[in-house]
Amino acid sequence: MSVKLLIVFVCAAVGTCCGFFIMRNYRRSCEYYKDLCDLVGELRRNISYRRDSAATVLSRFKTDSSLLNRNIGEYLTFARSKSDAPDISKGFLPADAFGDINAFFTSLGKNDGNSQLDELEMYDKKFTMLCEKATVKSSKYGTLAVKLGFLFGLAVGVLFL
Amino acid sequence: MEELYKLIPDDYARVISRRLALDKLCEIRVRNGKPVRVCYDGGYFYLGENGLTKIADEAFTAGRSEAESIIMRACDRSLYTVTDTLKLGYISVASGVRIGVCGTSVMSNGQVSAVKDFTAVNIRLPHEVKNCAASLFCKTVSDSVPNILVISPPGAGKTTVLRDLCRIISDRGYNVLLCDEKYELAAVHDGAPTLDVGSCTDVISGSDKKHAFKVGISSMRPDVIMTDELFFEDMPFVERAAHCGISVIATVHAKDVADMRQKPELRAILDNHIFTRYAVISPPPYRDIAVYSDAEAI
Repeated sequence: MSVKLLIVFVCAAVGTCCGFFIMRNYRRSCEYYKDLCDLVGELRRNISYRRDSAATVLSRFKTDSSLLNRNIGEYLTFARSKSDAPDISKGFLPADAFGDINAFFTSLGKNDGNSQLDELEMYDKKFTMLCEKATVKSSKYGTLAVKLGFLFGLAVGVLFL
Repeated sequence: MEELYKLIPDDYARVISRRLALDKLCEIRVRNGKPVRVCYDGGYFYLGENGLTKIADEAFTAGRSEAESIIMRACDRSLYTVTDTLKLGYISVASGVRIGVCGTSVMSNGQVSAVKDFTAVNIRLPHEVKNCAASLFCKTVSDSVPNILVISPPGAGKTTVLRDLCRIISDRGYNVLLCDEKYELAAVHDGAPTLDVGSCTDVISGSDKKHAFKVGISSMRPDVIMTDELFFEDMPFVERAAHCGISVIATVHAKDVADMRQKPELRAILDNHIFTRYAVISPPPYRDIAVYSDAEAI
């Protein structure tokens, strides 16, 4: 009996872990877009006052998102190199969002202050929308994924018996 | 001169580092699609795989958008950091490197609002020659520092002389205010001069003379104000400083005093009698400094 219970428990645990994994994916998207919006805000504030280079602002920026950290590192590598465009990783980003993010990193520093501010404002709106969508998705489907994962695991465990 | 090597293509950097002496290299002229030229030891040559050459066909040919690539690297990939100076035709880089820029001006309400389609750059390298102004200092400064105008044609070394004179005067204990409009004199980077301008020198970088003189006189109480490339419209600020008992040392572009007299704008500076010493630097390779009093100059 105890072996059967253990099997059900293990299946439910595995299912729940899968649910948590899916939820984490939703959350890291949220985290990425939220920190990206913060980065755009930081760039806008910098252009309005200090006018440090984009590379300086990016090198000072702190984020918990590992993909954004990687993207920033890729931009900084480009800034130090003699290549013509940064090579930005797509990571877990969907294709349309990645297109915008790649365009954002490529466009950094290519205009005068006012034009750059206008451009950053546009990106701010785009990324805020992406962030809102990701937040809604995360809260809607994140917990659902955990619950479904648990139930699915439980069902598999029961069927296994 | 790491800063220079970061700007130019690796091919040029390799040849310059291996075959040329940096202290003799004054300019690198890069024109899109044309052979690369350098000013080396006072003369112009093409830069090729084997170093300097007089034959254009042996020279490196700049890429179709080489000027823009150099400019983007010079501004750390952030054009907005240099928009204001770009409109005036130059970019200042760390270590005193200055890049003259040619391109198409975008006009708005009769003024240049932007520069696009860059066609050529002239990378000018600063040179620190310690004690090159020692003789000028001995000839002009005794108990006090007079108002000195340094006259020289372009490329003869007036900025180098002015910087060294600044260092010498500053190290004698005078409070010097250096108006470094184009970041060439002190080459301030991250809040500190990268070139030696003396221990008692305060530097105002990037602002025009009007602002630098006004702010400097009211807030820094200098003994001496030094600035590069004076024009007649700057004279009211010089006069104001002189009336406040502050010595002014500046430079102008002219061959000599006679040449100044022939140019109405510069003649007006002579007629003003604010400057009591005129130091004329002869063109390279001699670069002698002759000093005249106000009476001799007139």
